[in-house]
Amino acid sequence: MDANLEPVNASVSLRALASLLAYPDKQLRAHLPALREALHAEGALPASRLAELDELAEWLSGAGNAADPSDELEVEAAYVELFDRGRSTCLHLFEHVHGDSRDRGPAMIDLAQTYEKAGLYLAPGELPDYLPVVLEFVSTQPPREARDFLAEMAHIFNVMYSALRQRQSGYAGVLGALLDLAGETAQPVEFVAEEPLDASWSEPAVFGGCSSQGQVGPGQAQPIQILRKDGLNRNALTRDAINTGVSA
Amino acid sequence: MSHFLDRLNYFSQPREAFSDGHGVTTGEDRAWEDAYRDRWAHDKTVRSTHGVNCTGSCSWKIYVKGGIVTWETQQTDYPRTRWDMPNHEPRGCSRGASYSWYLYSANRVKYPLVRGRLLKSWRAARVALQPVEAWASIVENDDKRREYQQVRGLGGFVRSSWDEVNEMVAAANVYTIKKHGPDRIIGFSPIPAMSMVSYAAGSRYLSLIGGVCMSFYDWYCDLPPASPQIWGEQTDVPESADWYNSSFIIAWGSNVPQTRTPDAHFFTEVRYKGTKTVAVTPDYSEVAKLSDIWLHPKQGTDAAVAMAMGHVILKEFYFPDGGGERSAYFDDYVRRYTDMPMLVMLKKHTLPGGEVITVPDRYLRASDLDGSMGQVNNPEWKTLAVDQAGEVVLPNGAIGFRWGPEGRADQGKWNLEAKEAHHGEEVKLKLSLLEGEDPDTETARVGFPYFGGIVTEHFSNNVQKNAADDVLVRTVPVRRLMLGKAGEAVEALVATVFDLQVANYGVARGLKGELAAKNFDDDTPYTPAWQERITGTPRDQVITVARQFAENAHKTQGKSMVIIGAAMNHWYHSDMNYRGVINMLMMCGCIGKSGGGWAHYVGQEKLRPQTGWTALAFALDWIRPPRQMNSTSFYYAHTDQWRYEKLGMEEIVSPLADKKLYGGSMIDYNVRAERMGWLPSAPQLQTNPLQVVRDAQAAGVDPKDHAVSALKSGALKMSCTDPDHPSNWPRNLFVWRSNLLGSSGKGHEYFLKHLLGTSNGVQGKDMGKEEARPKEVVWHEKAPEGKLDLLVTLDFRMSTTCLYSDIVLPTATWYEKNDLNTSDMHPFIHPLSTAVDPAWQSKSDWDIYKGFAKKFSEVCVGHLGVERELVLTPLMHDSPSELAQPFEVKDWKRGECELIPGKTAPNMAVVERDYPNVYKRFTALGPLMGKVGNGGKGIAWNTQTEVKQLGELSGLVTAEGATRGMPKIETDIDAAEVVLMLAPETNGHVAVKAWQALGKQTGRDHTHLAVHREDEKIRFRDIQAQPRKIISSPTWSGIESETVSYNAGYTNVHEMIPWRTLTGRQQFYMDHPWMVAFGEGFTSYRPPVNLRTTAGIQGTKPNGNPEIALNFITPHQKWGIHSTYTDNLLLLTLSRGGPCVWMSEDDARSVGIVDNDWIELFNINGAIAARAVVSQRVNPGMVMMYHAQEKIVNTPGSEITGQRGGIHNSVTRAVLKPTHMIGGYAQFSYGFNYYGTIGTNRDEFVVVRKMNKVDWLDTPVSGQPAAAAHA
Repeated sequence: MDANLEPVNASVSLRALASLLAYPDKQLRAHLPALREALHAEGALPASRLAELDELAEWLSGAGNAADPSDELEVEAAYVELFDRGRSTCLHLFEHVHGDSRDRGPAMIDLAQTYEKAGLYLAPGELPDYLPVVLEFVSTQPPREARDFLAEMAHIFNVMYSALRQRQSGYAGVLGALLDLAGETAQPVEFVAEEPLDASWSEPAVFGGCSSQGQVGPGQAQPIQILRKDGLNRNALTRDAINTGVSA
Repeated sequence: MSHFLDRLNYFSQPREAFSDGHGVTTGEDRAWEDAYRDRWAHDKTVRSTHGVNCTGSCSWKIYVKGGIVTWETQQTDYPRTRWDMPNHEPRGCSRGASYSWYLYSANRVKYPLVRGRLLKSWRAARVALQPVEAWASIVENDDKRREYQQVRGLGGFVRSSWDEVNEMVAAANVYTIKKHGPDRIIGFSPIPAMSMVSYAAGSRYLSLIGGVCMSFYDWYCDLPPASPQIWGEQTDVPESADWYNSSFIIAWGSNVPQTRTPDAHFFTEVRYKGTKTVAVTPDYSEVAKLSDIWLHPKQGTDAAVAMAMGHVILKEFYFPDGGGERSAYFDDYVRRYTDMPMLVMLKKHTLPGGEVITVPDRYLRASDLDGSMGQVNNPEWKTLAVDQAGEVVLPNGAIGFRWGPEGRADQGKWNLEAKEAHHGEEVKLKLSLLEGEDPDTETARVGFPYFGGIVTEHFSNNVQKNAADDVLVRTVPVRRLMLGKAGEAVEALVATVFDLQVANYGVARGLKGELAAKNFDDDTPYTPAWQERITGTPRDQVITVARQFAENAHKTQGKSMVIIGAAMNHWYHSDMNYRGVINMLMMCGCIGKSGGGWAHYVGQEKLRPQTGWTALAFALDWIRPPRQMNSTSFYYAHTDQWRYEKLGMEEIVSPLADKKLYGGSMIDYNVRAERMGWLPSAPQLQTNPLQVVRDAQAAGVDPKDHAVSALKSGALKMSCTDPDHPSNWPRNLFVWRSNLLGSSGKGHEYFLKHLLGTSNGVQGKDMGKEEARPKEVVWHEKAPEGKLDLLVTLDFRMSTTCLYSDIVLPTATWYEKNDLNTSDMHPFIHPLSTAVDPAWQSKSDWDIYKGFAKKFSEVCVGHLGVERELVLTPLMHDSPSELAQPFEVKDWKRGECELIPGKTAPNMAVVERDYPNVYKRFTALGPLMGKVGNGGKGIAWNTQTEVKQLGELSGLVTAEGATRGMPKIETDIDAAEVVLMLAPETNGHVAVKAWQALGKQTGRDHTHLAVHREDEKIRFRDIQAQPRKIISSPTWSGIESETVSYNAGYTNVHEMIPWRTLTGRQQFYMDHPWMVAFGEGFTSYRPPVNLRTTAGIQGTKPNGNPEIALNFITPHQKWGIHSTYTDNLLLLTLSRGGPCVWMSEDDARSVGIVDNDWIELFNINGAIAARAVVSQRVNPGMVMMYHAQEKIVNTPGSEITGQRGGIHNSVTRAVLKPTHMIGGYAQFSYGFNYYGTIGTNRDEFVVVRKMNKVDWLDTPVSGQPAAAAHA
């Protein structure tokens, strides 16, 4: 999609997507037909994406495929497993940016203030970085601002999209839709199962390649080596999500 | 071409390098700094602390903005210490500083969760049935029950609502009470001091409905039985500031800088005063680096070092060669404050070779003499000594003086004044029978059991060449006495504890023909040379440290200290380690002296306002007595670990005991202990205790009489005799403030298999038919799997225990609730405060249990009304029952005595429970506080004033009903105020009353210790303003003052208050028949026991890599507090990012392991998968796994079990010791978290090898629904 194109109004779609990411309890299931209808009516998403979302809604509603209809508690258990536990598919966006770090609190305050500047006050019970909260906020913004806001978060969506794809979860479609609306392409980030854990822990040789002048390789630019952080985040995304059941 | 246009004329190049090209100025975006600036733009700061299981108790400032916690910093407003002492602050560590991260972590439990399969059955049943009937329809249908039990730990949770979970819990509880009995509802929560209101919430609910509160201190194996054995007191210790008053400190198995981070500064600061520090640890630990001398005896052999040090101290300071003088200070101290002068009877014993010797038996009692020394009250419980004139005398202070009717002749003589109780005159006791006598006074050859020669595979021994290698024969001065009534008198040999003790240590004192060590280089027990072969510690080091330790104590009158860690207590023969060390302290007069003494800081965290708290926590304001259980025996029985017992009694009994009397299996001893009223039981009777009372009523007899006759006839059975019978299974288990299955559950895999009934890694087979089966317990061919109907866990994070639970409830974090917190490390009381509202749907523990109570009161109607039931309690310490069984061990079941409740069997009480009013009772202070009063540790006082003042402070219940007009306990703050108002430590008036009550027993006035603070009443808002120092109270043996720091035993020494032991003194000798039979009358060295856990599995499941068996040690870690923080990725980053195990370079090399390899540790109990940390720090022969690393992060599958690699307790199994079961005998009487069996685990060995295949088990289990897999 060309970022210069005037974005379409997707506010209904965004609210529908926010709802799709909410806990699939009885109430949500009752609204699924209306959600599907609204998504189709607004037409902000490509047809293939809508088909994916239809399939997700089908599964959430307990219909699934006719031979093996999903149990409603199974659907709920799947949701808990995906979103209430673990980090890599966490719906709280700052989990992906700040993790368990000190920067998380200030970041949340910033975000809450963004909402307040727009005249929206967050009700108790959720944190400002919960994706459905963010989407609901975005749905109130004019199309261009909405698209820009989503685009800022696209890299997180991509990570989540990939993690959900890896788990063969239909929720990947929702993240794909958000990337569509952000004017980005869903690009699966490759996860390598085992190596990064070790790789991220092995430290490079202290002076390998870098030097003070006069020693090995004079005149060469000193490469900057930033350790761990990237590898660590990747570990966070793979390993802990794998350990969702204790005894497997 | 000209370069003219290449050059800019109007712009310069601003980015010039400087410092030879190393520096450059950049203009990058600095917006990130705003985050730091904004931190200081908070809306408010709130004082709280971390209710975690460490002894820190640190005051923190929590910064809040827009309802969000941004960060925390250390509070620095502790009250100042006195002149010349460093201040306490700043308190805190890296773990506490990262706590705010937990609040919003992805691992937080956000909603009430229920196991999907259970919820499905529940909802289906609820369509047609009422709650209790619905629960019945599930658990009475074995298919439905097993359906959810066997997927415990395998995911499958769904969100529920508070209404729904409350109803499920209430229905399960009501059903269980009605069907099986209230004592099938169990609650486990540890360390009340870390958040005492949260603990009390659950224990109050359980106590009101008749459920059982489980102990933790013994189960965690932090409870040192040596402490009650010696002092009748469980773990009273100096505050950390008192280290600063010491001039010689040994850190023995305690890694101070790592595990006592906020206190460690006192340890370093005092070195600037010249204090010498010694570390005794098998590895080169953090504390070893900090100390002047590092001793590293082989792990598990510390007692041998301590015995040798004791030998040096006795020799050089009591019997110096070359005409040196005995230390007058030591001599006076042990004479006044220890049992050294007390007389012990000797009895004849024939050695296998035919030689007849004598052996120490029991203390001589007043009742042994004709006329009982004129004593009418408890003469069997009064010990005797000899005065300077050689007369047998009755010193004040024995436990017989403590109890008896008001106004008795010997009242007020329970004190340590140097007086003769019979005639009230000053008396100086003889330490040794030789004192002032002819050195030719009669001596006897006395035998002591010797265990140092036992051959074990992994530990060196020291076999002696004596006649019988396992008996040491020594020379002891003795005296002949005539005992018994005139006319029937018989002659008996007696000796003083001092003379026996000197002989046991093998110290030469110049007796004729003396059997003792010639010098320190003589390789005979227990010399410095002797220990070298066992511990590997050079004798010179032992001599130096012992000599300097004692010399310092001699010169400073007791300012030598030993800081001791749980590492020492986790061995099967932990008592030897502790007694060896404590003997050194007592012989050097260090106990009760500022800057001296025994500093055991392990997981107890003194609950300072204890007596105010017990009323709230155990609902003593409504119903007494509560049900309490020792966890170790409970889990041993109910997780069926007893079925796998491999340690035989013949391996631990004394060579001097009659082995025929001590056969059977471990659990037999526990059953006998429960039957004789020594240990508590849970469940108690195989019949529902409600039914017992109904049966009695139907028969028209008193329920207690009914129970006695039915127990005798066998119509009524105690549950302990058949733990696998479905009627005796625990049915509902609540876990809160705890990670029972991820951290403290010794025999983890047995929990999974038998209690939970889910997949597990147990490798061994149970004893089966062919092996010696227990005699007292019914054997079922197939052990039950899945005893528990319901496991409910309250936590703020998704711990391992949560993953195995049926219902997981989100609790408020330490920044989201109001609570109280105290520690043994400092004398301040702290609040936990609500900085922000509980996030998502979490609630405080107080509100959660209040919710259960409310729903319970509704759901029970029609099933349970006002009911009466029978409660059994053991013969409790600090109650008159501790004088139950003065001499031999007699079992009513074997017809050796009558069944008399409270004397030869458990106490029995009929209590009334008003089930529909559980909620009303939960939220109001009941009438018993006003009617019966309050108290603790054997003293009682009236508390009507405090009840009235509580009503004025918190308000009275105005609603109609059972509690109208009573003080309200609606909120967590109300609950905190109950504790603060009723406790002497936080209410000066109560403190004075308590000291007065104690004065009645001791005949001395102690009120001066509190009267200067009488008008002080510490309120919750006060401690929110600033941590407050508590008020001195007789609950504890130290005092709060402006002249000394808190130190245990201080009031015993300075106020002459007896220790709560048989003799009233600190005891070197333990004369209970089982102590003697198991060879622990006097202390000695006993090698680790062989648990035989590697033999059956080593080499049987090869993966091609070499295997090695190593001792498995589990110390405390640096980057977490137990399992808390071990799921925090940033803290994990500071170690290896997941489970890891330290091993020595030599051991690693021998089996081809290099640093960071994935290795497996396994034995017949289960398996662990972890990273190897290969380090010089560790000595060969052992591996160290920091305990409680969760298996939820970065843990791959095990090649052995096929399951996910376990936690550290996957390779352990609890093993009991009969001496820890003794009861009804002075200090050897049960008390909750005071005495009982302990869950030792250090004697364990594991097979270690490199893993071939690292399988992350990240594909769904076949047959299980895949997580959201569709399409």
